[in-house]
Amino acid sequence: MLAIAVIVFREVLEAALIIGIVMAASYGIPYRTRWIGAGLGVGLLGSVLVALMAGRIAVAFAGAGQELLNVSILLLAVGMLAWHNIWMARHGREMAAHARAVGESIRAGARPLTALAVITASATLREGAETVLFISGIVSTAQEGRMGMILGGVGGLAAGVAAGVALYAGLLRIPLSRLFTVTSWMVLLLAAGLAAQAAGLLIQADLIPALGEQLWDTSFVLSEKSVAGSILHTLLGYVARPAGVQVLVYLITLLAIGVPMRLLARTTAHPRTASASTAALMLGVTLAAVQPARADMKVRYPGVEQGEVEIEHNGLVTIDHRKPERNGEQSYTASIAYGVTSFWKLELEGEFAAGAGQRFNEEAGTLENTFQLTPQGKYFLDLGFFAEYAQARGRHTPNEFVFGPILQKETRGVAGLDLLHTANLFFSHEVGSGSSNATGFEYAWQTRLLLNPYLDPAVEFYGQIEAVGHPGRYSRQEHFVGPALLGGVRLGPGKLKYEVGYQFGLSHAAPTGAARWQLEYEVRF
Amino acid sequence: MQTRAKPTGGLVAGLLALLLATPALAEDPSFSLTLRGQSFEPATLEVPAGQKITLHITNTNATPAEFESETLRREKVIPPGQTVVVYVGPLRPGRYEFEDEFHPKARGVLIAR
Repeated sequence: MLAIAVIVFREVLEAALIIGIVMAASYGIPYRTRWIGAGLGVGLLGSVLVALMAGRIAVAFAGAGQELLNVSILLLAVGMLAWHNIWMARHGREMAAHARAVGESIRAGARPLTALAVITASATLREGAETVLFISGIVSTAQEGRMGMILGGVGGLAAGVAAGVALYAGLLRIPLSRLFTVTSWMVLLLAAGLAAQAAGLLIQADLIPALGEQLWDTSFVLSEKSVAGSILHTLLGYVARPAGVQVLVYLITLLAIGVPMRLLARTTAHPRTASASTAALMLGVTLAAVQPARADMKVRYPGVEQGEVEIEHNGLVTIDHRKPERNGEQSYTASIAYGVTSFWKLELEGEFAAGAGQRFNEEAGTLENTFQLTPQGKYFLDLGFFAEYAQARGRHTPNEFVFGPILQKETRGVAGLDLLHTANLFFSHEVGSGSSNATGFEYAWQTRLLLNPYLDPAVEFYGQIEAVGHPGRYSRQEHFVGPALLGGVRLGPGKLKYEVGYQFGLSHAAPTGAARWQLEYEVRF
Repeated sequence: MQTRAKPTGGLVAGLLALLLATPALAEDPSFSLTLRGQSFEPATLEVPAGQKITLHITNTNATPAEFESETLRREKVIPPGQTVVVYVGPLRPGRYEFEDEFHPKARGVLIAR
């Protein structure tokens, strides 16, 4: 009886927790109970249907039918959670302000109610079908007394539902002003976890590469089979032994939902707050327009490969809720590089950028040179030198020289870890109209854990001081720190490399955060 | 705000990129497991470490089963009388336990060498 209760509990738990979050996240939306109830009903009916068709599903799509069905259900839920969250980012504040009064206007706009129903239905369907199969199995074999089985099943179901209800009740104790902030973070993590689960199923069906079968193993700390492990598995996407592609998909989902969510939360916050703050904001935007932040977060390596062509894209978006003039600054680059000799790499780069709330401009064309000064690994440090000239497009924007050393050091087997440390120490000097006479300094530091070719975690620091001669107070300088993931896969004749990272602003002048990414395809001729 | 990225766009693009990068492999070594009553045959299966393997798992019982392994991170329902395919690895050398989640007395272990 207990064994049955445990199995049913485990299956019901995930769906119950998801519905608990959805109920809390939709607090105050009229008719939500009706829609969530409808989703539950559809999910239960669907579960029976899927259980009845299990035989046919198993053989569909060359044996991958089960995985593909579950992946579709999961991705549908991820899409709906994303929609819900982005919708809430736009309307959540109004709802927190006057919970029910805005009900009518909400219903008039895009309605997240269908999203709630679909999320509920998919959560129920995914776990429900397995529960139905299991129960139908034990009922037909009757290994123990029928009463015991029924009690076990009902007990497990009740315990699962109780966990969902407890989560809901706990969330409702959060003051309304903060409830939706908490639930939107939970929905974000939930969506990322479900996306990672979908990636796991695609690996199981051999449809995508694992990119590292097992990146790490934390099962000795917390097993996924334990109650706490299962709860964290659902709420945060905890996986004790994740594959590389699962971690990657998790992070991509976090960024793909989190970045628009945070940008929207700011831009729609107080649409009609006039007077002084608006004036200050306008001033900030104007200033930003004159001097757009050329926020170039990238760590350059000292190595050069003769005959190698690299096509590269970099992106950067800042996030700041307190300083609107620093929120949503964007910068994108596209470049092509060529290893002319064994020690000289030439790179042409175009940069497009926009300040907060501005249109995109072609900001600058840049000619970059990287010189490899020492053979790789021969001396204590690998040394390179970087020099670029940036030609700004605007007539009143100064052009700029940037130059300085690149240092790299690999440390093997320190505390069992292989690390690669890289530092860029660059000076900048403006020339042409509107240039300041000062010499600026920018640095970038990266420590990369060499785990496997597909996925290396790293810590990065970036910062800049506008005038080396007058560095001013720390709070006026921009400094950042944050995690990144780096890696690559063979693709065709070359290699596709990626980098994703999130930087937290450390100083007052820096925005709260910045998301950065890089995609590069390199091929050698 | 000038641009409003579609939330799932990045995910889909990422998955597509990965799909394109998947090498078509057909010659992975394959192994069979049979669930008979409350036990797997063989209950101990030796497989090579360091390469991808294919498991064909047959459920000879009249009731559904679910092949599950926390260590292998695999979970798949097997309808009565059917055989399903589960791809595993490349594994590090070691023991990987599995069970039929619907009949937890049915257990087995994969030993990768």
